[in-house]
Amino acid sequence: MSLAGSMEKQEKINSCEDRVVLVLPNKPEYVSLARLAASGIAGRMGFDVETVEDIKLAVAEACTNAIKHGCCEENSEYRIEFGVGAKCLTISIADRGCGMDKKDLCQPDLQNPREGGLGLFIINTLMDGVEFETAPNTGFTITMKKYLGV
Amino acid sequence: MSGAEYCYQNDGGRCVVKVKGEIDIYTAAEFKKQINAAIEEVTGDLHIDCSELQYMDSTGLGVLIGALKRMKEQGRNIYLENLRPNVRKLFAITGLDKIFILEV
Repeated sequence: MSLAGSMEKQEKINSCEDRVVLVLPNKPEYVSLARLAASGIAGRMGFDVETVEDIKLAVAEACTNAIKHGCCEENSEYRIEFGVGAKCLTISIADRGCGMDKKDLCQPDLQNPREGGLGLFIINTLMDGVEFETAPNTGFTITMKKYLGV
Repeated sequence: MSGAEYCYQNDGGRCVVKVKGEIDIYTAAEFKKQINAAIEEVTGDLHIDCSELQYMDSTGLGVLIGALKRMKEQGRNIYLENLRPNVRKLFAITGLDKIFILEV
């Protein structure tokens, strides 16, 4: 795509969505800040209290995943982008890691419950749409959507 | 910043750990330490009062799953009491409400 075409596409995205971007150090103490941002944005959009809690939890799980698996170097960062649309909240969380194990999306085995690996299953259960993208040299991005009034 | 507080009651041999605040990746290590200390300290079942636990995610679930495994090996159990709706939902969606005893 030409530069003009690419800019036009970006402008189209920007015109229907407000963007809020948060870049956090890969330190556990900042995950509560991501939850605060998520609950502030979701509450302002008009999601009910239960859904705001779901969104907060999904964001925290993705941040936990980014810190545990995504940031191999010390003093690394990960990026959270909120796309605030009229009817949809899109949240992308990007780290520099190599991604996830697809088996972590499965229903937990209750006969032999594991102490980890529940985060992605929780995100997938609570959100309306979840996509994963692993790109060489850039890292892993999880994008989740929640629709208003669904 | 998120945080969690703990206090213990031991009434008539019943050990209750009261957890207040938020359990996430930052506070889960302290949660694990506190729960493990309570398991060591008493011989019977462990009751965890969650009435003031405002938030928990999979990191807290992981600690509880580990603790339950240890307890079951010794023929003991963990009772989770007074969960708030958001925390109860976490147990429901993961199916862990079937292996933990959730009271009221």
